[in-house]
Amino acid sequence: MKKLFFALMGLLMAGNLMAQNAKLPDNITLKDLEGQTVQSSVIQNNGKPIILSFWATWCKPCNRELDAIREVYDEWQEETGVKLVAISIDDARSAARVRPWVDGHDWAYEVYMDQNKDFARAMNVGADVPHTFIINGEGEIVWQHKGYQDGGEEELIEKVRELLNK
Amino acid sequence: MKKNISYILILWGLTIATASAQGIMGGHVTGNVQIDGQMSHADSVIGATDVPQRLLMNARADILYTNGDFSAGLRFEAYQDPLLGFDAEYKGQGLANYFVKYNGSKLTLTAGNFYEQFGNGLILRTYEDRYLGLDNSLLGVNVQYRPVDGVTLKALAGKQRYYWSYGDGLVRGVDGEVNLNSILKPMTDSKLRVTLGAGFVSKYEEDGNLTADDPSQLLNLPLNVGAGAVRGDICYGHWSLNAEYAMKGQDPSALNNYTYRTGNAAVVNLNYSQRGFSAGLQAKRVENMGFKSMRSQTGEMLYINYLPAITKNHTYAFLAMYPYATQVMGEQGLQADVMYKIKKGTLLGGKYGTDLHFNSSVVVGLDTTVTGGKGTDGYTVNPGLGPLYYGDASAEVAKKLSKSVKLTATYAYQVFNPVVENESGDLHHNNILIADLSWKVNKKHSLRFEAEWLGSDSYYNKAEEEHTDRRAGDWIMGLVEWNIGRNFFVSLSDQYAYQDGIGNYYNLSVGYTQGATRLQVGYGKQREGMLCIGGVCRLVPASNGLTFSLTTSF
Repeated sequence: MKKLFFALMGLLMAGNLMAQNAKLPDNITLKDLEGQTVQSSVIQNNGKPIILSFWATWCKPCNRELDAIREVYDEWQEETGVKLVAISIDDARSAARVRPWVDGHDWAYEVYMDQNKDFARAMNVGADVPHTFIINGEGEIVWQHKGYQDGGEEELIEKVRELLNK
Repeated sequence: MKKNISYILILWGLTIATASAQGIMGGHVTGNVQIDGQMSHADSVIGATDVPQRLLMNARADILYTNGDFSAGLRFEAYQDPLLGFDAEYKGQGLANYFVKYNGSKLTLTAGNFYEQFGNGLILRTYEDRYLGLDNSLLGVNVQYRPVDGVTLKALAGKQRYYWSYGDGLVRGVDGEVNLNSILKPMTDSKLRVTLGAGFVSKYEEDGNLTADDPSQLLNLPLNVGAGAVRGDICYGHWSLNAEYAMKGQDPSALNNYTYRTGNAAVVNLNYSQRGFSAGLQAKRVENMGFKSMRSQTGEMLYINYLPAITKNHTYAFLAMYPYATQVMGEQGLQADVMYKIKKGTLLGGKYGTDLHFNSSVVVGLDTTVTGGKGTDGYTVNPGLGPLYYGDASAEVAKKLSKSVKLTATYAYQVFNPVVENESGDLHHNNILIADLSWKVNKKHSLRFEAEWLGSDSYYNKAEEEHTDRRAGDWIMGLVEWNIGRNFFVSLSDQYAYQDGIGNYYNLSVGYTQGATRLQVGYGKQREGMLCIGGVCRLVPASNGLTFSLTTSF
């Protein structure tokens, strides 16, 4: 039984290795900060890269990361045209606080709510945030990272630069 | 569930084989894996006991196959044996979750295990929290239909996961949500954004599982229990308002001692925000709103609905030492939250600006009069307030002192009623101070220091071995975290009860992250305590020894 399981997994993974990068799923239901339902296909940046960051108001490293990027976001956008899209996984306990939180922190990011974690599950974000992805101009997931350590934002922008220099 | 593994695997394999036979093979396999392990040996001071198996382990793997609008997923879980604090019912391994899903632009259809939420979740929310050992996913069918922009209709039916089996009750639900700006032409460009919704959930459960010792005590149990809710989301410029009201029919269960009074709950969130400033007020009232798909169940499994705590979710160790958990039988509370960013270049803002954050919440019980026992309405509610359950107020200042140094200072005051954890005793009053300093030494190294102090009027009573709360007394804590490059970190911390309490809890942790793979190994002592996520809590027993955690996504 176990053998069958692993054989199947192995087969599928081998297939996966040959395939191209996975695309950003486009039919996942999210909400914008005004409570309106949108599909994940709204996450677009005119052929330029996107940084997709899963976060929550109660997550300290997430807030440190998004605060750190706040300081350099204008420069990043000017240099690379990158856009940061922040996906909040706050549940009913704190979901109503997300919009005030974003305003209070003076974040100029595009923010969506994923209360039921449909998007997080589709992207294989495990139990822990922050979990950050880089999406290339074709909508493919090219890089991902778990957690945040001070200075980690520099690795993000380096990956974006690498993408543009390809 | 375990027995069905081969059947499900074959079905899953066939589904993918069918997909490939139709010439649409390709697609992607992605997934995530988490393995947590623990070793612990006895320590009478902190109350840790020996683990006879030496090593405990929780492991899981989620595998997801996606091809265009179609996806299929399965999750393998293994508890060999479950970590301390997890229910022994989890012992074993098998397929815990499997589904096939079609996700089109107008229609989403899931067959298998699914997670769903209506509105704020007051009548339905199935979710999973691996740290709490909680999974109440429904196994059945879930349909979401979006006929036009701004309209979402949902219908579902299924049974809820209960460790390695499923609960007795059949859960059915429908929900609808309309965004007026999308469907009413005159409102398209209005500053006023309005979304309205309503849902209904019904549980069917045979009454066979209630064994009465005394036949004359047999109750006439409702086989169908319904719950309904209405809600609205309104935004106007800087303002937003979110409100939901829910009612539940007669639902005699172990939670309410088989009484027949109906339940209700209400939540209101009012917020004002603009760049650099926000203020919010939240109010909540809950009465007899524990809604489970198996009436004999207490504990945290098989909840159909979700009643989060109204208090702020604190993350610093001492702020979270006395956490509040929702009292599903009855509570009413308020929370206020204010954030302000003092602009850079001002007197108080300095060169980089200063962030201020104030929060306060208070929760009291309902004032009730007991009118009878099993089989009656049970109680009546009087106007006014019941006993104080919890109150807190906190102020936080975050300031970048220089290009490389940032300081966050917090003060908090808490009042905690032990009745929240089903204990008796006086109210605890706590004062808490926290300083959190991060220092970017250079491009490669950064340090973070945390110092915390908790002063409490509770004390440790050794004479009463039954009622000794190891959180008691005054505490200090220190933490140093050293980030090396972008991948490594080492952290050393110690929590010490220096007065009226007992215990010294040191911990050394080392972590390595590479992309989406993370390995963390820790050694030290863990205080017995409540781990609370979203107002749902799990008691984590004391432990003393090695822990490790490996997670990866691909």
